[in-house]
Amino acid sequence: MNPIYMDYAATTPTDQRVVEAMMPYFGEIYGNPSSLHGFGQEARAAMEEARAKIAAFLGAKPAEIVFTSGGTESDNFAIKGVAWANRKKGDHVITSAIEHHAVLETCRFLEKEGFRVTYLPVDEDGLVDPADVVKAITDRTILISIMHANNEIGTIQPIAEIGRIAKEKGICFHTDAVQTFGHLPFTVDELNIDLLSASAHKLYGPKGMGLLYIRKGTRITPLVHGGDQESGRRASTQNVPGIVGFGKAVELAAATLQEEVVRLTSLRDRFIQGIFERIDGIRLNGHPARRLPNNINLSVESIEGEGMILSLDMMGIACSTGSACSSSSLEPSHVLLAIGLPHELSHGSLRFSLGMYTKEGDIDAVLEALPQVVGRLRAMSPLYAGKK
Amino acid sequence: MSKLAVAMSGGVDSAVAVLLLRDGGHEVAGVTMCLGVAPAEGGRAKCCGPREIEDAEKVCRVLGIRHYVVDFAADLEEKVIGPFVAEYIRGRTPNPCVACNRAIKFGSLLRKALAWGFDGLATGHYARIEGAGGGYLLKTPKDRRKDQTYFLHAIPRESLAKVLFPLAGYTKDEVRGIAEQAGLPVFDKPESQDICFMPAEGHGAFLRSRGAGIEPGEIVDREGRILGRHRGIACYTIGQRGGLGLSSPAPLYVLAIDAPRNRLVVGGKTDLRAEGLVADQVNRLVDSFPEEIRAKIRYAHRAARCRISEEDGRLTVRFAEPQEAVAPGQSVVLYDGETVLGGGIIQEVFRGAC
Repeated sequence: MNPIYMDYAATTPTDQRVVEAMMPYFGEIYGNPSSLHGFGQEARAAMEEARAKIAAFLGAKPAEIVFTSGGTESDNFAIKGVAWANRKKGDHVITSAIEHHAVLETCRFLEKEGFRVTYLPVDEDGLVDPADVVKAITDRTILISIMHANNEIGTIQPIAEIGRIAKEKGICFHTDAVQTFGHLPFTVDELNIDLLSASAHKLYGPKGMGLLYIRKGTRITPLVHGGDQESGRRASTQNVPGIVGFGKAVELAAATLQEEVVRLTSLRDRFIQGIFERIDGIRLNGHPARRLPNNINLSVESIEGEGMILSLDMMGIACSTGSACSSSSLEPSHVLLAIGLPHELSHGSLRFSLGMYTKEGDIDAVLEALPQVVGRLRAMSPLYAGKK
Repeated sequence: MSKLAVAMSGGVDSAVAVLLLRDGGHEVAGVTMCLGVAPAEGGRAKCCGPREIEDAEKVCRVLGIRHYVVDFAADLEEKVIGPFVAEYIRGRTPNPCVACNRAIKFGSLLRKALAWGFDGLATGHYARIEGAGGGYLLKTPKDRRKDQTYFLHAIPRESLAKVLFPLAGYTKDEVRGIAEQAGLPVFDKPESQDICFMPAEGHGAFLRSRGAGIEPGEIVDREGRILGRHRGIACYTIGQRGGLGLSSPAPLYVLAIDAPRNRLVVGGKTDLRAEGLVADQVNRLVDSFPEEIRAKIRYAHRAARCRISEEDGRLTVRFAEPQEAVAPGQSVVLYDGETVLGGGIIQEVFRGAC
């Protein structure tokens, strides 16, 4: 059996066309984009072309795009940068309990610095209630950061409405759009976004490349000092091949965005329907409708996610779990706990995320393999025996 | 060729077990049980803490095989640590490695490995399994000094058909040599001698952290005369000499632990001798036990000649020569030459003639 990759939410393969677009910038076009001579100008031209393409895709101005090393840096920059720049104005930040660690850990860091942070709860589908945002706002609130779509359970938040609330109160609004940028059609104005984090490797671009959209007029303190690059907002010689690759990836995503949404949604629904027909005692985590077109997150009763991952990996199927025991963590996913999933179910969670190269045949192969795996593991599970 | 899971602790033995199987043409994956053990301070070798998981990962990277980390913390707590604490509180000296091999490694891990799609499980133990007439026998390995069969006597007999010990025919020195030659990063890693879940602070602190009341009490001789005070019975082992804080013309040894009265009974070396013992939780790795065999009563013990009899699932062992420091809670393991017959958990000790 050919290997089946269903972990596109973790990372995507770099598109060959992206690799080809990047190649000249590792070789013949090697100038530093800050240099005044021809070598530098050539590199700068390529970089600015990519910036313009990406800005247009977001409905933004090129000067509002700052390139970073990835989504994590962008989240750090947005949250710390806005908090530090507005310290005189206030000291309160609102976020949600199911944010990516890049946001949550940054907020915890700010708490140690004396900021106050409200972590809004979510409902059982993983949705933030905009009414809760309104209630949490105080006259000291300087930043609201709510992710566009959750990386684990795929729930898409009512960002436009939360953005509108922030706008009315004159509070800066940041969204982590790492899972939606290049995957869902939107502009920053439609969603009332002031700051947006995105990453290239989630849309067939290179790893180590991200961006932060910063609406003109937003007060923000840089994270990295030491040069005038990115209009003084991020020092360090730009990663020209990475930026060119990012631009190419966005161009390719934009060209097929609408049909990919339709195609992936239909594959996703085929998967979900098929798996519910074949396995009992399972649950779909995340919102049934307001969810990423490529996300399937299941909890399987009575067995552990890691055993399923291991068995599927041996059959050549790659997916992920919300409760991986690694050298760093034993805890079940904070997202699954926040939607109120009991420990037992959060330990049995699996995430399949689909992408460009996923075909109907792959879905059918997993629909065939997963029931076998679940059957074998349940046959030896004392938890399952107790239920029967 | 078969698909084998190798239980990897992060040490040199399991690393070489993986290497030997891979080179023997098997499809191998490393599995490390995450036991929820906190990282050791100062980098002391501890089994299956975060550093051990990283070491196992490193070895698998070098060997180009898959590595998986699977959470066994709850299982270890329920089947090994909980009973270990309970036994200590009863004044006994339990052997958690015996319990872990039986319930975890050759119990739930083996069952899981088969369910995950592997054909069998291998470990880096120094022991041997031989097929004989359709059955399998557990035997001592080439390296007698490293022989770990004492800890394996309680494993389910049916597991022998699904388990491999690739180090059966190698000495520890040879294993280190193989690891060094293959460039395995753990070739010179020190041995981990301790109980994997035991913190550096020792038994007393661990048991206290588990809510065991460790109260000082009296030290008495066999006649009941009070000789001194102890720090809490859990801090002592039968056969222990010294550390008692007593002055006496002849050396004194811990003879017995009287948990109900929170007392330690001490005496001279000759008082330590036992004529025999009674064990329960008897595990059999052969159809029946011969009458005249040898028995080991602790890991470092030299197997002693004895006669055995069984009644109502209890095993009575009578030594040909009295043996020192027989501790309830430890295992008695029965050998017929190189073959491990099985064993049980020591419950009672006979001192005088019986």
